[in-house]
Amino acid sequence: MTKESKVFGRTIKYLFAAVLVAFAILPFLWVVSTSFNAARSLLGAHMIPKTLTIGNYRDLLSNETLNFTRWMLNSFKVSAISVFFIVTITCITAYALSRFRFKGKKAIMMGIMILNVFPGILAMIAIYTMMQQFGTYIPWIGLNTHGGLICIYVSGAMSINTLMVKAYIDSIAFELDESAIMEGATHWQAFWKIVFPIIRPMVVTIGILAFMSTYGDFIIANLLLKGNDKITVMVGIYQFTQQRFDTNWGIVTAGTVLAAIPVVILFFMTQRHILNGLTSGAVKQ
Amino acid sequence: MNRFLRLFYVGVFVFLGSFLMFRLIRDGFYPLAVFVGACVVFGTLVFLRKALTPYRWMAVGIALAVLFTIYPIVYTVFLSFTNMSGGHLLTKQQAIQRILEQKYIPEDAITYSWSAYKNPAGEYLLLVFDADGNGFVARPGKALEPKGPLEEPPAELDGYAMIDMVEAVQRIDEIGKIEFGAAPEALTIQSLGEAAVSKPAFAYDEKTDTFSDVVSGTTYRVNRGTYVSDAGEGLSPGFMVNIGLGNYTRFLGNDGYRKPILEIILWNIAFAFFSVLFSFALGLTIAIAFENLPGKRVIRSLLIIPYPIPVLVSIMVWRALLNERMGLVTSGLSSLFGSSPHFFTEVGWTRFAIVLINVYLSYPYFYILSSGALKSIPKELYEAADIDGAGPLVTLRSITLPMLLRILGPLLIASFSFNFNNFTLVWGFNAGLPAMADTIVPMGHSDLLISFIYRLGFNTANAADYGFSAAITVMLFILVSLMVFFQTINTRAMKETA
Repeated sequence: MTKESKVFGRTIKYLFAAVLVAFAILPFLWVVSTSFNAARSLLGAHMIPKTLTIGNYRDLLSNETLNFTRWMLNSFKVSAISVFFIVTITCITAYALSRFRFKGKKAIMMGIMILNVFPGILAMIAIYTMMQQFGTYIPWIGLNTHGGLICIYVSGAMSINTLMVKAYIDSIAFELDESAIMEGATHWQAFWKIVFPIIRPMVVTIGILAFMSTYGDFIIANLLLKGNDKITVMVGIYQFTQQRFDTNWGIVTAGTVLAAIPVVILFFMTQRHILNGLTSGAVKQ
Repeated sequence: MNRFLRLFYVGVFVFLGSFLMFRLIRDGFYPLAVFVGACVVFGTLVFLRKALTPYRWMAVGIALAVLFTIYPIVYTVFLSFTNMSGGHLLTKQQAIQRILEQKYIPEDAITYSWSAYKNPAGEYLLLVFDADGNGFVARPGKALEPKGPLEEPPAELDGYAMIDMVEAVQRIDEIGKIEFGAAPEALTIQSLGEAAVSKPAFAYDEKTDTFSDVVSGTTYRVNRGTYVSDAGEGLSPGFMVNIGLGNYTRFLGNDGYRKPILEIILWNIAFAFFSVLFSFALGLTIAIAFENLPGKRVIRSLLIIPYPIPVLVSIMVWRALLNERMGLVTSGLSSLFGSSPHFFTEVGWTRFAIVLINVYLSYPYFYILSSGALKSIPKELYEAADIDGAGPLVTLRSITLPMLLRILGPLLIASFSFNFNNFTLVWGFNAGLPAMADTIVPMGHSDLLISFIYRLGFNTANAADYGFSAAITVMLFILVSLMVFFQTINTRAMKETA
């Protein structure tokens, strides 16, 4: 390859990169800039606002009928509790599947694989009516409760995460925990003292991904939650863009930015973990 | 764990589980009762038998998956054979209960005038007067206490304070629901001036499974989930019954459903296919093109920005960008070309926008995956190709692509199946619109099957039709399973030949 053609090739690549970067970030630059724009309507809005203001954010947070802070808190609460259960339950399930020999193991592995490829959300009609029925007997997991939503989240995240953690535990030398058990440790101690510290990076990755997906979930939250004081921020954002899409852009965009910020920060703080987790999980399969 | 303590826990568990099961059976929720029962038996066995120790570790996970993932799938199939819908939401047991609660006031009933009293705890009682001016105190669930003739109702009575007319008017709905007095002679208020003993309006005969009107004697018999009189008058509420293949024949046997659903299915497949194809192609192109480019790290972190942003948020932003009147993209296009496509009302443009947004949402994921997978392709393969004089296109076609597909195949399938049911995107962007013309139930041109089902179940002006939606869901189950099955076989075969 001649030097000129190499330079030419690079220039093309950088141009391509520039176009893509614009595609990737312009929508968000625009939203952020609109949220700081004093102009109330989009008609007068430019990419770079003439006057900057935080008034939109103040209006959003002080608006009592919108309940935005409550929605954010609901989202954090539901996601945090879900992540806790997803991580604990999948870890101990995966340990058992990796380290115990027992009857029915093959069937259970098969079941998990099938559940993993089957999109359970298809059954939304049944999930809705089921929650309604549960609610009559156990009020805290009925419709319009966070308990019910968490149950669906945790159960839905089980299959994929159990498979990933199990594959990871399988890759740890069996001798490590076996020798501990020979010396009189219980399985619980072997899991907690030996295996868990090794899989901790994986657990962190799973936890973060689970947080991002439960926080960002719209389908199930929208299906189960109805009350203005119960909905998560994704459902809230959807509802209030439906209602005031044309009227008050400032508040809408401010809400959008605030709703996105927590997970974006979380992602960029833990980027290395997540990217490694994603690629190693994929490449190993 | 202490043996007795464990027995105690198991005992409590069995007690609570059986109690729940008993109530489910009483109210006619048989499928749920079976699943709860299975979980109770499973839990008990696992915690009592030593041989099942490994299952103790998995008990919670299995129970959750069974109740909240597997049960809904089974229950969907069950529902698809019933007429569960707006007027038929309850089980038969519940419906009978509700009908028995309906009251009427017999013509010879004694009527009273009343004053309501309320205590600080928010409980009510009534002081009622019969036509002769005799007063009675009526408390919920207790027999009337005669107070003898009274001139005026006192302002206070046993720690209850009388509520004035204004408050009584405001709370009349609340108070009207309460039955004062003991069961057969219970009083309910009928109006501001009147309270009376009401009686059940219908009597149920268990042997013949019929209701009869207490006053007129009309008999109501079961007919497809409703008690109906010979004159054709039905009692409300109805209940759900098995209607066999009714829901299936309703849309398979009807051109009015079949044609639009076929259109939805075709668009659904095309949408999932092109979404995966384009986002994978873009992600892979980026991964290959920028692999050795100086400044790659900066470009990379800018390009994956859409990845962490919650999908719904991005969709809302795109909705704003493409907004008819004031969106940045539409107004930009208008000023460039004089007019702009209508991304929310023209079928082709709506679909185009949806695929475009999906590429925006998913290419970072494929970019991350592809660049990881590229690293795992052995370098020797490329060196060998280089020695053989293969150009970049040939290496791409005969080394990079086959190797990548082998590694990423399962993830591509997963992504296809995810996008096949990408409710959030389609509903968030345009709720499945623009609407199709002249359909029996509302359908949209950008609807996926799942958003169509959602609208049918929850978003129609007419009554929610759960049984019918469930039947379409079952067809969707079969369709998705078949596709995943064949694609898995395909990638297996590809792996073996590669």
